[in-house]
Amino acid sequence: MEDERSKTKEKTSAMNVYNKNSLRWLWSFTEGKRGIYLLSVILALLGVISMLLTYVCLASLIRELISGNREMAFYEVRGLQIGILWILRYAFHGFSTYTSHNATFGLIGSARKLLLKKLNSMPLGAVQSRSSGEYKNIICDRVDQIEPTLAHVTPEFTANIVGAIAMFIYMMSIDWRVGLWQLICIPAGFIAFAIMMASTPKYYPVTIEKTRALNAVAVEYIGGIEVIKAFGQSGTSYGKFVKAAKEGADCFIEWMRKENFWQNFGMACFPATMLGLLPSGVIYCLNGSMSFANLIVLIILSLGTVTPLVTVFAYTDDISKVGEIVSDIADIMDEKDLIRPDGIKNTPADHRIVLKDVHFTYKDKEVLHGINMEIEDGTVNALVGPSGSGKSTIARLIASLWDVDSGEIIIGGVNIKDMPLEEYNRHVAYVSQENYLFDQTVMDNIRMGRDGATDDEVIEAAKKCGCHDFIMTLENGYQTVCGGSGGHLSGGERQRISIARAMLKDAPIVILDEATSYTDPESEAVIQAALSRLTAGKTLIVIAHRLSTIADADKIFLINDGCIEAYGTQNELMTSSPLYKSMWESHITARKEEA
Amino acid sequence: MLRTIKKFFDFCGDRERKQFFLSIFLSVFNAFFVAMRIPAIYVVLKAILEDSLSVNTAYTAVVIIIASIILQTLITMQISMLQTRAGYNTSSLKRMEIAEHLRYVPMGYFNSEGLGKVTSIATNTMESLSGMASRCVMMISKGMITTLVIVFSMFLFDPRIATVALITMVIYLIVTEFMIRMESADADRFTAAQDSMVARILEYVRGIAEIRNFNLFGKSITDVDDSIDSFARFSTGMETTYEIVMFFLNILNKIAGVVMTVMSITFYLNGSMGLVNSVMMIICSFMIFESLDQVGAFNGLTRAIENCVDKANEALSFPTMKIEGKEITPDNMTLVMKNVDFSYGEKKIINDISFEINEKTQTAFVGPSGGGKTTLTQLLARFWDVDKGSVSLGGTDVRDYSYDSLMKNFAFVFQNVYLFNDTIENNIRFGKPDASREEVVEAAKKACCHDFIMELPEGYDTVIGDGGASLSGGERQRISIARAIMKDAPIIILDEATANVDPENEEKLIEAVAALTREKTIIMIAHRLKTVRNADQILVIDKGQIAEQGTHEQLMQKEGIYKSFIAERSKAATWKIRKDPA
Repeated sequence: MEDERSKTKEKTSAMNVYNKNSLRWLWSFTEGKRGIYLLSVILALLGVISMLLTYVCLASLIRELISGNREMAFYEVRGLQIGILWILRYAFHGFSTYTSHNATFGLIGSARKLLLKKLNSMPLGAVQSRSSGEYKNIICDRVDQIEPTLAHVTPEFTANIVGAIAMFIYMMSIDWRVGLWQLICIPAGFIAFAIMMASTPKYYPVTIEKTRALNAVAVEYIGGIEVIKAFGQSGTSYGKFVKAAKEGADCFIEWMRKENFWQNFGMACFPATMLGLLPSGVIYCLNGSMSFANLIVLIILSLGTVTPLVTVFAYTDDISKVGEIVSDIADIMDEKDLIRPDGIKNTPADHRIVLKDVHFTYKDKEVLHGINMEIEDGTVNALVGPSGSGKSTIARLIASLWDVDSGEIIIGGVNIKDMPLEEYNRHVAYVSQENYLFDQTVMDNIRMGRDGATDDEVIEAAKKCGCHDFIMTLENGYQTVCGGSGGHLSGGERQRISIARAMLKDAPIVILDEATSYTDPESEAVIQAALSRLTAGKTLIVIAHRLSTIADADKIFLINDGCIEAYGTQNELMTSSPLYKSMWESHITARKEEA
Repeated sequence: MLRTIKKFFDFCGDRERKQFFLSIFLSVFNAFFVAMRIPAIYVVLKAILEDSLSVNTAYTAVVIIIASIILQTLITMQISMLQTRAGYNTSSLKRMEIAEHLRYVPMGYFNSEGLGKVTSIATNTMESLSGMASRCVMMISKGMITTLVIVFSMFLFDPRIATVALITMVIYLIVTEFMIRMESADADRFTAAQDSMVARILEYVRGIAEIRNFNLFGKSITDVDDSIDSFARFSTGMETTYEIVMFFLNILNKIAGVVMTVMSITFYLNGSMGLVNSVMMIICSFMIFESLDQVGAFNGLTRAIENCVDKANEALSFPTMKIEGKEITPDNMTLVMKNVDFSYGEKKIINDISFEINEKTQTAFVGPSGGGKTTLTQLLARFWDVDKGSVSLGGTDVRDYSYDSLMKNFAFVFQNVYLFNDTIENNIRFGKPDASREEVVEAAKKACCHDFIMELPEGYDTVIGDGGASLSGGERQRISIARAIMKDAPIIILDEATANVDPENEEKLIEAVAALTREKTIIMIAHRLKTVRNADQILVIDKGQIAEQGTHEQLMQKEGIYKSFIAERSKAATWKIRKDPA
């Protein structure tokens, strides 16, 4: 990985493999709609052919005009033909585009649904390794970018290439020598583009790097504006920003300066078919091997090939970007699923939890090295340990946020991998600091805990969690819409609503993952009371930031460096574990300062 | 369309606008150089028809085409350069303007959502501005002007045909304008459908943990499919409308071409036009509207251009405050708030509050969340300007200080710690840019950071953030305290948040705070009982007013908010989770 980053060459080759995978994904994804795309290509082709035929008609019209045909009726017919062909051309084109768009928008919709469904089957931990902003970017914005490729490029690129070739063959059949002569500029154009492309590996990475640097500086400047101003550094930081912004623009200008000549020379060369055609045609006419009429026809037909060629060039850029666009989507689709059966095999006999030799690797690093734990039904169990010790990882594995690499997690005699996720979720409630409230009424948000719960049951749960009073002071009481992320409710209020939701679910196993550290210290006591009610009589696994909170637990597991260092009650650990003792003493000193 | 283009050019800097205009001017010339293949054809045709074809004809044609290639290359080089410069510099200058503007925006104005938006404008929006938007404006302007010039030069050949061309162009532009109007009505509904889909998808993604926890997948409450389908329908609808209009626009051009062809032939047959001219007119009528087609093709993007410009202007329209005051060094650090009112939007947050904070005393703000504690501390350090009343430091109104000279007196420990994507050393040094390495280490030691920093792979040179070391919440908090220690300001404003602190770090955090606050004026939003108890003055803030004021002992005498607050806190601090809660 590190080496890849340092060497651009290897990076681009790695990217190609990447793109190939994503193109394969795109290909398999279009299955079922390929017929429609074929139809769209055929329609586009008919459109291009109609267009080329207008040039054929035009050529014949001019030939007649020159050869002295003075019959107006003939020209009127030709004019009518040309008009009809143009209408056909745009009608075919329109239908082709409509067909491909209809299919593409459908596909984009299914891509979105697929991605969302995927998020529901991936390990939750893997889902959460990306931010919601990234998902929004991929599912909403990125996916839309498939549109030009599928809807425009597929039919038009194909049709125009085929059209240009057809026209070329037709011209060759009229006079193959002139047909070839008209291509005389193409090699020059290719050489120009090749030279231009040769400078790309030198300049392109610079622009990427400078743009990234600029974005990073912008993110820091804007994100850190509060700190910057508070420390009176706005002048210096602004200077940095200005420098980055300048460099971000200069690198593109510099690149353009370097390839400017070749790019524009190439662009001027490609359509210059007349350079070979006119003189060769004149010479052949002079030596009598070609008729004047044919020369005029060829000139006009040649004008007709320019448009398809220009269209093709306009789309090459889009094609080269597809791989990059799709790779983000393919990345998510390639994520491993949480493997769970569909049907219920065994139901847990009780709520005893056993971990057997559990190993778990996160981001290429093994973070749990063989964890064995036994948690008895209906007991209070605490996981403690230094930050980074793995205590949260254990809780999250039990909560099925991830799958273990090896070893087993068994609930009531059943391996959790043998339980459908839905069944599993009936047994376990996982409560963390993150409390998402949906953009629904308070009533509906709490009701999510149990489908079909009555209003009274919801209110009952709210009362138990100390929510009822503040809910009643809201504008519309229980019918108040929470708004994205909880709207105008305070952190503590949101937390209590989410506890009420868990309360309604009434799962026999409750996992509190740092649920006791508060964003809203003013409501700490109320939240604690709510948690007490939620956990009463349950099999409880708790990670708490204050050791005193869990001092009464039936079993405390001390996790250190991915292993269980010791376990037992508070008293047992105080004598058996020096690490626990020192943690406790440190905590108590802090508490004394406070008390 | 014209309005959008005008808007874009108004938005550009003077130099860039001139570059854009020059590039459009040159593009028109270029259109003629591209069209030089027509004179070359003309030479050959003329020779054929006048029966004077010779090798010289071939030479002339070759010379014209080669001249066309060379001239095109030279002129498009200029055009590309001008457009690249103008495009990238426009966005670069706008970025700077936004950054400059942010310096004057009241600090309190920033919240994470707003900052995210500005960041996106300064990065994504500006990127599309430098690329897509400026290219699109160029194509439209160029297409219109080129067609106009061609049509007018046709008047020199044949006014009758030129009139047809002119009429066509006018109709084309009117239809285009009409189409944009029609689309914008469509586009509003389209945008609404899109917003609703994005909102639902975001909600799904943010609530994914709950959706799984409570088996909500596929339930109507989390159903996103409807909004995805309806967005797809709107997209198809938009596209269909666009295709239909484009169909008619294209047909309009081509039929006009056919009419011009038939006219040319008629004029030739009735003798009012020569054969050569007639043939050339026919060929021209096939190509005359090529530039105009580009106007149609790119006008679909005008909304996107407007969008870019509007967004950038939005970032530049944030309210500002005057920050250029005098360089003042206060004689003493007494802070006085006098009859202060402050509203955020419609909502009154602070209602006629007055108090005084003496040098080297400890003041604690206590009260329910949403009561106005945070806003008060922000007003003291002029994160906002007060609506009414005044805040003064050392007897001088804070608005008379230059912002930097005012800020010299304050150090903050925020609840949300922002560290830069830089080395730890530079992050700490941020508090005092000319500090030596020794001073940095000294501050780190005081803030209990030194030990964990030394354990990092590159010690003080370790880069924090993306691709660098990830620190725990407690560690980040202590680095921010080291940074504040480095600054050594006489007044410390502190939000005493204990969230995110690991148990083994709690003690160190308290020690770090103690090191920072030694011998200073301390203003804090207090949560700890000890700090409240030791405060020289406690202000209980509720509903934007001072509900109670005094020392711990004084306030404990009253049956008020403070007393119940203390009771709740003591209860919370000793809470234990039990099998059978009482």
